Amino acid sequence: MSAYEPKIIVMVCNWCTYTAADLAGTSRLAYPANVRLVRLMCTGMIDVKYILKAFLDGADGVFIGGCHPGDCHYLNGNLKARKRVAGVRKIVEQFGFEPERLRLQWIGASEGPEFQKNMAEFVEAVKTLGPSPARDAVVL
Amino acid sequence: MSPASPIPRIGVYICHCGMNIAPRVDVEAVAQFARSLDHVVIARDYKFMCSNPGQEFITHDIREQRLNRVVVASCSPRMHEPTFRKACEKAGINPYYFQMANIREQVSWVTFDGQLATAKARDQVAAAVARVSFHTPLYSREVPVTKSVLVIGGGIAGMQAAITAAEAGYDVHVVEREPSIGGHMAKFDKTFPSLDCAACIMTPKMVDVGQHEKIRLHTCSEIASVEGFVGNFRIGIRHRARYVDAAACTGCGLCAEACPVVVSNRFDEGLSRRKAIYRSFPQAVPITFCIDKKDRAPCVGACPAGINVQGYVQLIGQGKYREALSLILEKLPLPGVLGRVCPHPCETVCRRAEVDQPIAICDLKRFVADQVDLESLPAPEIAERAEKVAVIGSGPAGLTVAHDLRLKGYQVTLFEAQDRLGGMLRVGIPDYRLPQGILDREIGRILRLGVEARTGVRLGPDVTLHGLKAQGFAAVFLGIGAHASLKLGIPGEENATGVVDAVRFLREVNSGGQPPVGARVAVIGGGNVAVDAARAARRLGARRVTLVYRRSAAEMPAYPEEIKGAEEEGVEFVYMAAPLRIQSQNGAACGLTCLRTQLGAADESGRRRPVPVAGSDFTIDCDTVIPAIGQRIDRSWAENEPALAWSASQLIAADARTLQTSLPFVFAGGDAVSGPATVIAAVAAGHRAAESMHRFLQELALTSAAEGPLAARPKEDQPHWLDIPPDTAPAPRQHGGVLEPGRRLSSFAEAALGLAEAQARAEASRCLNCGACCECQECVRACEVKAVNHAMTDTVEQVEVGAVVVATGFKAFDPTPLAQYGYGIFPEIYTSLEFERLNNATGPTSGKILMKDGRTPRRVAIVHCVGSRDARHRKYCSRVCCMYSMKFAHLVREKTGAEVWEFYIDIRSPGKLYEEFYNRVQEEGVHLVRGKVAEVTDIPERPEDAGRLTVVAENTLTRRTLRLPVDMVVLSVALEPAAGAEDLGKLLGLQRDRDGWFNELHVKLAPVKTATSGIFLAGCCQGPKDIPDTVAQASAAAGEAVALLAKGTVRTRAEISVIDPDLCSGCRSCLDVCPYSAIRFDEGRAVAVVNEALCQGCGSCAATCPSSSASVKHFTDRQLMEELEAILL
Repeated sequence: MSAYEPKIIVMVCNWCTYTAADLAGTSRLAYPANVRLVRLMCTGMIDVKYILKAFLDGADGVFIGGCHPGDCHYLNGNLKARKRVAGVRKIVEQFGFEPERLRLQWIGASEGPEFQKNMAEFVEAVKTLGPSPARDAVVL
Repeated sequence: MSPASPIPRIGVYICHCGMNIAPRVDVEAVAQFARSLDHVVIARDYKFMCSNPGQEFITHDIREQRLNRVVVASCSPRMHEPTFRKACEKAGINPYYFQMANIREQVSWVTFDGQLATAKARDQVAAAVARVSFHTPLYSREVPVTKSVLVIGGGIAGMQAAITAAEAGYDVHVVEREPSIGGHMAKFDKTFPSLDCAACIMTPKMVDVGQHEKIRLHTCSEIASVEGFVGNFRIGIRHRARYVDAAACTGCGLCAEACPVVVSNRFDEGLSRRKAIYRSFPQAVPITFCIDKKDRAPCVGACPAGINVQGYVQLIGQGKYREALSLILEKLPLPGVLGRVCPHPCETVCRRAEVDQPIAICDLKRFVADQVDLESLPAPEIAERAEKVAVIGSGPAGLTVAHDLRLKGYQVTLFEAQDRLGGMLRVGIPDYRLPQGILDREIGRILRLGVEARTGVRLGPDVTLHGLKAQGFAAVFLGIGAHASLKLGIPGEENATGVVDAVRFLREVNSGGQPPVGARVAVIGGGNVAVDAARAARRLGARRVTLVYRRSAAEMPAYPEEIKGAEEEGVEFVYMAAPLRIQSQNGAACGLTCLRTQLGAADESGRRRPVPVAGSDFTIDCDTVIPAIGQRIDRSWAENEPALAWSASQLIAADARTLQTSLPFVFAGGDAVSGPATVIAAVAAGHRAAESMHRFLQELALTSAAEGPLAARPKEDQPHWLDIPPDTAPAPRQHGGVLEPGRRLSSFAEAALGLAEAQARAEASRCLNCGACCECQECVRACEVKAVNHAMTDTVEQVEVGAVVVATGFKAFDPTPLAQYGYGIFPEIYTSLEFERLNNATGPTSGKILMKDGRTPRRVAIVHCVGSRDARHRKYCSRVCCMYSMKFAHLVREKTGAEVWEFYIDIRSPGKLYEEFYNRVQEEGVHLVRGKVAEVTDIPERPEDAGRLTVVAENTLTRRTLRLPVDMVVLSVALEPAAGAEDLGKLLGLQRDRDGWFNELHVKLAPVKTATSGIFLAGCCQGPKDIPDTVAQASAAAGEAVALLAKGTVRTRAEISVIDPDLCSGCRSCLDVCPYSAIRFDEGRAVAVVNEALCQGCGSCAATCPSSSASVKHFTDRQLMEELEAILL
């Protein structure tokens, strides 16, 4: 059996964390290729169902990256995301996923190295957790 | 489920980006993979998709292959999304039928394994293809713009941008937080490389900005709020109170001459001093003066009567004694009295104590009260009113009420039960503390205002409250004090002769009587009255006076100076003893038996309760016993006034704020309401009662009277006072003379002699001016055009603009943390900005390079890269330091002929004529040492260099360590983002880079644009740069702003929210989460509706909506679900 390579969904806001990811690229700061970025305008537009959808479709981890509190391009979308993620974490757990598979982090536009570091750490954490239970389940 | 019609026909284009994507990502394999995806009609890979031929593929395929969707996998959409959207539009499909997959920044550049990179690129392409199938055409609207520009910052960048935009015909608002525009450049003397005089090339621009008909200048102003978006911003500008009317001020400067307050001059980097009313520099624009006000000094806040302490102290320092006394009299009709008996809470909070000891404020008040003849002060003008007011009791509270109400024009009658006016001041305080003449003098002034006094009239027997009302007194003040003594309640107190309570005893003493005092006196109590009685007894001939107090010395409430005086006069103190009984022989007291006490737990007053020790009794032989354990209010008159309410502690009940009693026309204050307290507390109560009575008589609301204009300053959580200058030298507090204890006992002459004039002036000069402006009003008197107005307050003005240019500049790095350079420790170490001021003709030395002792330096060291290129501080190169250091070298050589040694890491001279200037300076005989300075020390290597500084550095070219004695060191400090950049960034939605500079949209191709459209950057706020680059960038920013506005319209964003009325359940959740209040509720249809003009497309509503009726166009549930599915399945 080949080594387990997790697949991780990274939902990021356009203004801070997506820019940080671009900056990591321009600075050639490599990180594991397990992550797939999904760009949104703001973490505040992340619906609970996107997170559940990602887990049910087999994502081994979901990472949400937004602006630091006070820096949100839309004033306070990141704070709404924080509340929403806290709520969905419980649902994710009830579905049988370890809550550590869901992570929310603030990464500002100038924080390319932080983006790199967060990706590496999260991939490592998800590797430790092992494959998502959804991989063996049949989801209707 | 099939996507929306028409059936998608998708073209996919994989970019090699030269060698950036292709070698790592197998682009051909990705294209091959794309062809296998649903609805993909064609997939190509090409070297540069963004090039013309690359775009040609797209437009060609749209036409030839009838494509209706396009996916490009290349760089970040932040880079080329607009490029490809335009290409789609050009070929005839809606630009939103386009999706980009970022396989460069987020794949090839961060994934070194080719297989992994290719797999990741495949997923990102699949996601884009899945998503684009569900895209819908979107349209943006054109909306008109406001044709005006806001420029934030009035330095050279802001001025240049403002003039450029104004010349193009646009209205410009320039917001500058300092009192003058000019920024840092106004502080410079010469500019490199041309050595132009900064003022000569700059002042014409300042005048232009000041006088341009299209430019409105907002100085002393800051951005308070930002609303709206590109083309239509609504900006709140906070105008901080300047306290000088710009329209009236002629800039003559008489105010600054009159101002007594001297503070550090920030414009000269603290190298000189200026007045609290000031203009930064002579060529300032606007020319208007400005008052430096901090929070009111702590002494002012601590004074119960609200006396402007800092103000009168400053005026005394100037020798303006009449003005000082007048200022005190505004809040205190009894300056000489309080200058003697006040417990001075002001001195307790005085910040001078942080340096040495508090200012002797109380002594200064006494000094000035004794210095000026009250009768020589001009009588205040009084506008007469008809209403009659009665004041019962002529103590400090009553006198204050009479004074205040008389000044307001009321007809005041003062009723006093004693024969002479003054209340407790007259009968309670012995003459050696408060001479009768002082009291007479100050009461006399109050009476001369037109107050009628009736002495010997007692409340109860002679007048009643309702009787006074019947006589036409519309309001009555009860300030009857607490003149009855509390009883000891011990055997022997009532029937032995020789027992006299302290109040009665002192009253007789003060009336000039000689109450019989035996040879041995015991006084019981620990307050000032007890000590007064003890000291008075000594003066009346008692040989031995013993003061008995039931707690220890530490708990004694009498003032320390009183206790000290008593000790000097031979009064004995017996602490920790409680009286048990008074022994008598033949009906005459002969001893006081006491019990020893111990201190138990603290009582409600916070003092530890004394507990008697059984069996510890002892007797003090004495023939006179004076109990002084407290006073109460005499209530004998109250039987006739049943409607007057009393408090639980048997005091007159009065509203804490208004001092109104249960009888609406009767107000009360002083000891009769508070219980025995200080004179200054009674004065404070008098002020409050007078204001309430005035309001009562004028039928105004009685609630907390707004104070005069001097109280209108907003208060922050933390008081903001002037910093104590670090170089404040300790100066001892002045003490007035005191009569010899031996001479004191022979009479009741005043014991404290007060400060001499020279002492008073010296004492006043110790004041640190915590509040900066002391509000003494000297400037108001000096200003001939009446431009000064201390009552000004901050205001916020709303302006509408279409574009914003941010030009907030930089601040100089503070080298204090680099302790090895000795900045702040050795006087002859200067930052570059300080050295600029030293060179400037309007600076502290009028442009001469002089040491602080006035000598010309013989050798100067200039240290490069202080804070810059330093991993522990600022990693970046500050770009301008090498060249300004060369300029400094030239100026030192030219002005002084001194040797100059420059210590550098690398010399950076890229710029027109910069290298030539560098060469020229070298030819002028400047020594250049390649090596970072390790240390600047005052320890010389050779004895003859004592008193000079020694610069220690390694010359890395010769590999030799250098120890160079110098007279002056200039630190070429880094440039840092301006203070407040973070807050401004948040207001404007600007991102900042790691170092705190504002982020441009693209570091090369969009250096003045930002991620927020309509907001542009100019000058050092974006990163360190020199003046030529700053001016060029400012012109560019103004050009961008004008280009945006010239068209007259902007396109609104298409990616905004929409709410499906068929699905909306009317729950209103979205209304709460919308940060722009862009959603309203349509009551008729019971659905929420998005206002498209306000919506910014953040999607808070969509994520919140429980019925999924709200969605953001281009970020719909369906589009995102398809994207996720394509990645994961």
